[in-house]
Amino acid sequence: MGGYILKRIAFAIPTLLGVTIGIFFMVRLLPGDIIDILFGGDLTASEEVKEQAREQLGLNGSYPEQYWRWISGSVQGDFGFSLRNTEPVSNIVVDALPVTLELLVLGLVIALFVGVPLGVISAVRRDSASDYSARIGGLVGLSIPSFWLATLLLLFTSRAFGWVPPLNYISPLDDPIGNLSQFILPAISISVFTMAIVMRMVRATMLEVLGQDYVRTARAKGVDRRTVISKHALRNALIPVVTIVGFEIGVLIGGAAIIEIIFGLPGIGFTLLQAIFGRDYPVIQAMTLLIAFTFIFANLLVDILYGVLDPRISQ
Amino acid sequence: MSDETTSEGPAGGELDRRELLKKAGQVGAGAVAAGSLVGTAKAATKRSAATPRIKRGGRLIWGLESDPAHVAPFGGILTANHWAKEFAYDSLVEWDRNLNVRPALAEKFEIRSKTEIRFTLRRGVRFHNGKEVTAADVKYSVEKMLSPPLPGSISTVAQVPAIEGADVISKYVVRLRLKQPDARVIGFFAWGRYAPIVPEGLYDQINVSRGAIGTGPYRMLGYEPNDRVEYVANQRFWKPGLPYMASMQLKILGDEQARVAALRAGAIDGATLSVDIARSLAGDRNLTVLKGPNAAFRELQMTIKTGENKPWHDQRVRLAVMHAINRADIIKRVYSGEAEYSGHVPPGYGPWPLSDKELRQKYEKFDLPMAKKLMAAAGQSRGFSVTMTTFALQDYPQISAVVQSQLKQINIDVNIVAQEAGTFASNNGAGTFDWDLTGRGMRGDVDGYVAEFHPAAPVFKIWYPEYRNTRAWRGIGNGRIQLDPPKRVPIYKDAQRALMLNPVQIPLVAIKKYQVVRKRVKNMYVAFSDFNTGLRTVWLDG
Repeated sequence: MGGYILKRIAFAIPTLLGVTIGIFFMVRLLPGDIIDILFGGDLTASEEVKEQAREQLGLNGSYPEQYWRWISGSVQGDFGFSLRNTEPVSNIVVDALPVTLELLVLGLVIALFVGVPLGVISAVRRDSASDYSARIGGLVGLSIPSFWLATLLLLFTSRAFGWVPPLNYISPLDDPIGNLSQFILPAISISVFTMAIVMRMVRATMLEVLGQDYVRTARAKGVDRRTVISKHALRNALIPVVTIVGFEIGVLIGGAAIIEIIFGLPGIGFTLLQAIFGRDYPVIQAMTLLIAFTFIFANLLVDILYGVLDPRISQ
Repeated sequence: MSDETTSEGPAGGELDRRELLKKAGQVGAGAVAAGSLVGTAKAATKRSAATPRIKRGGRLIWGLESDPAHVAPFGGILTANHWAKEFAYDSLVEWDRNLNVRPALAEKFEIRSKTEIRFTLRRGVRFHNGKEVTAADVKYSVEKMLSPPLPGSISTVAQVPAIEGADVISKYVVRLRLKQPDARVIGFFAWGRYAPIVPEGLYDQINVSRGAIGTGPYRMLGYEPNDRVEYVANQRFWKPGLPYMASMQLKILGDEQARVAALRAGAIDGATLSVDIARSLAGDRNLTVLKGPNAAFRELQMTIKTGENKPWHDQRVRLAVMHAINRADIIKRVYSGEAEYSGHVPPGYGPWPLSDKELRQKYEKFDLPMAKKLMAAAGQSRGFSVTMTTFALQDYPQISAVVQSQLKQINIDVNIVAQEAGTFASNNGAGTFDWDLTGRGMRGDVDGYVAEFHPAAPVFKIWYPEYRNTRAWRGIGNGRIQLDPPKRVPIYKDAQRALMLNPVQIPLVAIKKYQVVRKRVKNMYVAFSDFNTGLRTVWLDG
């Protein structure tokens, strides 16, 4: 198992390195840089003044030189300074990370806690009313854009109950209930797509597993129905679900940006979007790297989980 | 009954700065330096008679539509930067709601020569840290205006008039030296966006990205990026009786529907909204809809570059475009009637813009036969194709579509390319476009609206080096060095007329700004300047 984990980590390193190169150069391929943004409304600035500003922001030197400065700083935990407000990027990341992490974790928890049982029920009661309801629900969940649902939820609660989630970030350590009331609508909005995917995947794999010989054998031996489903069938049916969850983390992070804007949550997605509009290279690079790292790390966890769920894989 | 209220924006009227300059040289401490960019005091007088008993205290939460990035006093590029910091700082003079120039930290100023202005400071005014405002602080602030440190951008130096430096004459008197005569100085300080007065050594004392020390009515507690700005009342504010509220929060809510939901639920007390959304809230008994004129106007910009031979290089084609555009139709279809005709200086900007009548009946008259005739005279009766870039946000795609359909009538086939703001800014700044449908904003002085048409402007060489308009150039050149405001008015009007007869940018319409507040918010108004200046004097009823 240890060798298997080390092998997965070794694969992750070149992936991350490739990501840093990709991020660095793709950001610079965007039309316009921060100088264009800064001077966007200014009709009288000369080229000399623009060049001065470029130096002031540390954007001088060739791209390889700039990349080396960034990557050598990054491995030491120094991601540079924001071009928009000169804040250390690490501070910006530290401020934004807990918000997004909580949103992702809550969204994932809701998706799994609702999606998995729904998938199981749907498979076990195949072609029943509850199966049809769950399948239709799944299709709706796949079709609804998360930003649309978020806006709808927000407008509905404001009109029907005169309530919107608290506007200022509440730490779960300071006020867990307040924190939950702040995150519940965003988490529901972000979870619906993943929930639908999980539900459909669990249903499909459960149907397949329930038809396997070992399940039939367990039933023939007189094992209680509940035990057959939860211990024999579900555990095996969860392997593809784990794969899907690994991929869905990327989808959730992508959806987080717009959800954070709608609910005014100062997380990674919101910050990244502002940085892209402002061509704030160090912030874009650090945030994208963080997202890539999270994605790679989540998939590493998934790989390890495979080994736990099915020991044959790690061998 | 509709709750829609017209905010009393800048009223028309005669510029009174000559009188101001005279008085400023004569009057003693405490006298009102009653100069103006515009307007009369009529509206204000009417209002004061009906003012109910003001209540003190309470907390207001205002929804901001975008993040300020930082709250540094100097060199802030984004409008949101000033939205966030405007309550913390004052300048030497200020505009009232009608854009009249009023004394602020300077109780008077005196034009000693064409290149020297002396400001006498109000005594006893204290910064939020308790330190008294002195001439040394003004000198320090002026130095920072001329060379804004990070996170400010040096690009804002272009907005600063020809100030050479400041000298301390005594504890309360400061001399401003100009490189050359420059009529923009007072407007620059009154606008305040790039000219706050801060305590000497501010940049060594605090992190200016996230905090502020000024003299404004509210003391900034801090700015949390992408989240909020917190303020509490400045108990030692130099204007007696102000501010009324105990505290204020500016909450960043980028999504318009989120602002609407928060307004309905009472989670925020006010916000800026688009015309249609704001009007849909007019029936809500808990909300008041405010509207007012705004410095922002839309225009169609063309390039005339050396070595190119585009159809619109012919003045007649540009004039044809001017008259083929039906602005009344744009106002109706895009802005639900909530916009006005605009020249190069937007309506409401004091006595400077051309009159609505002049625009409608002459320079911007919708006259399709004349437009066709002009196209034919230029040999373009079969028309041509052109790419028009614009912002992929707000009203820009809509107004572009209407302009596209209108120009079809003179056989101009407009291909619209909507771009993200950064890309648009990049192409616009580099002059890599044929036509841009873009917007303009507030300026401290009328010169800011026309300077780009003068060959001395760096951007002139990028956008339209082949453009010729000596009559306009003369006016723009003379207007900047003419220090007597009443003499400047006809100069700039003539320059604008010259620009309308030989246009290189086609002004379209000036839009109205809408803000929605909860009923308990009193005394709020929509500021012409695109800032939320009204919040300085707001009080809460309950």
